[in-house]
Amino acid sequence: MITLTHFLLVSTCLFCIGLYAIIAKRNAIMILVGIEFIINASILNLVAFSRYDKVNYGGQVFALFAIVLAAAAVAVGLAIILNVYRKYKTINPDNITDLRD
Amino acid sequence: MGDLLNISPILASMLVVLLPFLAFLAQAILGKRGKSGNISLVAIILSTLLSLIFVFAEVWKNIPISVDYHWFTIGTHTFTIGILLNNLTALMQLIVCIIALPVHIYSRSYMKGDAGIHRYWMYLSLFCFAMLGLTISNNLLMMYIFWELVGFASYLLIGFWFTKESAVQANKKAFIINRIGDLGFLLGIASVYSIYGSLNLVELFGKDGLFYSLPQASDGWMTFTGICFFIGAMAKSAQFPLHVWLPDAMEGPTAVSSLIHAATMVAAGVFLLSSVFPLFNETVLLFIAIIGCITAFISAYFALGQRDIKRILAFSTISQLGFMVVAIGVGAWDAAMFHLATHAFFKCLLFLSAGAVIHEMAHFKEKNNLDIDPQDINNMGGLRKWMPKTFILMSIASLALAGFPLTSGFLSKDAILISAFEWAIHHGKAYLLIPITLTIVSILTAFYIGRLIFKVFFGEFRVQAEKLNFHEANFNMIGPMIFLAICSLFFIFSWNPLAYHHSFILGGFEIKYPFAEIHSLHIVLPIILTLGSAVSWALGWNWYVKNKYPLKSNNQWIELSLNQGYLNEIYEKLFVKSTLSLSNSLYWFDKNIVDGFVNFMASIVRRIAQLSSWIDKYLVDGLVNTIAGTTYYVGHLLRWVQNGRLQNYLGFAFTVLLIGIIYLILR
Repeated sequence: MITLTHFLLVSTCLFCIGLYAIIAKRNAIMILVGIEFIINASILNLVAFSRYDKVNYGGQVFALFAIVLAAAAVAVGLAIILNVYRKYKTINPDNITDLRD
Repeated sequence: MGDLLNISPILASMLVVLLPFLAFLAQAILGKRGKSGNISLVAIILSTLLSLIFVFAEVWKNIPISVDYHWFTIGTHTFTIGILLNNLTALMQLIVCIIALPVHIYSRSYMKGDAGIHRYWMYLSLFCFAMLGLTISNNLLMMYIFWELVGFASYLLIGFWFTKESAVQANKKAFIINRIGDLGFLLGIASVYSIYGSLNLVELFGKDGLFYSLPQASDGWMTFTGICFFIGAMAKSAQFPLHVWLPDAMEGPTAVSSLIHAATMVAAGVFLLSSVFPLFNETVLLFIAIIGCITAFISAYFALGQRDIKRILAFSTISQLGFMVVAIGVGAWDAAMFHLATHAFFKCLLFLSAGAVIHEMAHFKEKNNLDIDPQDINNMGGLRKWMPKTFILMSIASLALAGFPLTSGFLSKDAILISAFEWAIHHGKAYLLIPITLTIVSILTAFYIGRLIFKVFFGEFRVQAEKLNFHEANFNMIGPMIFLAICSLFFIFSWNPLAYHHSFILGGFEIKYPFAEIHSLHIVLPIILTLGSAVSWALGWNWYVKNKYPLKSNNQWIELSLNQGYLNEIYEKLFVKSTLSLSNSLYWFDKNIVDGFVNFMASIVRRIAQLSSWIDKYLVDGLVNTIAGTTYYVGHLLRWVQNGRLQNYLGFAFTVLLIGIIYLILR
């Protein structure tokens, strides 16, 4: 039988993959993909824990809310990447080091 | 009108002093416009008249007058400024005026055309002011001020032709030597003040200047005071060994030499000695007599070998001043004043005549373009033919100088010599040396003045030239000379040509000599002197006119005389050189010891500074720099964390988070 632990394991795996993508990828799009992974991992957690709230389904509602937010965030992120590309002619975050001292 | 003429002697004497001063100011303001000298001349004429009519005639043999004005106060002591008119001061003032007047008139011709004549009149008036002020001061301090002014005026006039190197040297010499005397005078004033607490002559000696009873300090003190005053008089009156400035002072214009360096200023020393005569005790008087005697003798000797006409006269002045000083020393200061008066006239006349001769010689030199010294008597000769009036006038003056009967010099010189003999006989045998020396000096005087007359006026003119046209000086020059020549005769001073006791000057002072009068001397001595002079003239006639000169010209004694006994060279070696070497050694001391010490200290300080600089640099700064460097290094280490890569930041954050989680788990 599929227990809560399995959900959490899958979620953890998704989070780790997302984290890896964020840290290691040399492409801003792939980093955005990594962020989506992490958001989905958290959404999975919300859905999994919603079994303890069978009256209001608060977890599932919050999951829907998070999905919508994630979509908006991706749109914003893509817009930022587009602007970054326009300015720096690259989307490799290693080459964008304006924050250094 | 009667009121107008009734000027009090005090006021008159003040005017006498102030008129030349006003003339001096006027000449100073006029500057180059005041070439005629009329202002100075008018001032001195008025001074002379005032002095004669309102001062001398009123005061002479009358009750002395003095007046004091408050001057300044130091502590409880009040100093006064004032005028003292007694026989001595009135006589002295009159002499100065009467001598200054002919010199002023004479100068109008003599100095005509000189580029600096406006200065000449200015200085001459300044001198008259100072000298007249000196005579009537009733206060030693006031007298000292005028004394200095007289010295200063003399300095200016000696250096009148200041473009001539020798004139500049001469006025410097006169000034420096006079400073020595001034120092003595000043010390004397200080000493008198410390003994008596007053500088007022009236308070010190009474109005007559004749009181002999003074509260005495210890004998040593009195001797010191007396010697100090005498040193003052020594420099001004050119006594040995401070006489060396007077022959050099002949660099000034001849009229000035005649007024200042023969007749009046050099007599200031004698006048001072007469004024403070009661101060002198036996020791000082003996010292004064000895110095006077030495001076009289050696300068008469120096006069024998001189070739410069003015220098001969200068040495004769020194010699005669020696006579006066001896007279002071033997206590016969009335005789000294008498000789001062007679000497003033005939010496002034001698100089003015010499001036006339030099004037002609200088013209002769210019006309013929010769390179001769116009003052050298070896270049003159036979001038009697061209200048008979000058010859006669100068002969009268020479006879007076030699002390020939019927002249004024005979009276005054006899007065001194006889007093000196009486004094010596009173004191004992050893003292006779002084009057005997003086007798010899008198005969020497006759000889050298005879030599001058013979060489200048007799024989043939000694320089070969085509145009030999000398002529008599004009009336502006001859007039004053005639006046002085009349004053050089006996009847001005005494109606009896052979006995000095009848002279009015001696009669005016009436001092009692402390020694007995010896009547036989009054007959013997004049005869000896006259015969001695006559013999010396006969000898001189043979030597110089008949050209039977027995001595070689390079004779050692003549050389010694010509070079003034090498005194100048000795002074040069002894004082000038030693002063210079002292200065040099002081300079060395200053440079090497004083500066050396400072430099040494400076180098030590510099070393210390270097040390502390090293400590500062390597220890203090080093510590700070090490801390700063460490901080910088640490900062540098952390710097690469801020590399601007967002992924790295995230990675770090995650790592830290992970470490925190692991920590929490393991705890």
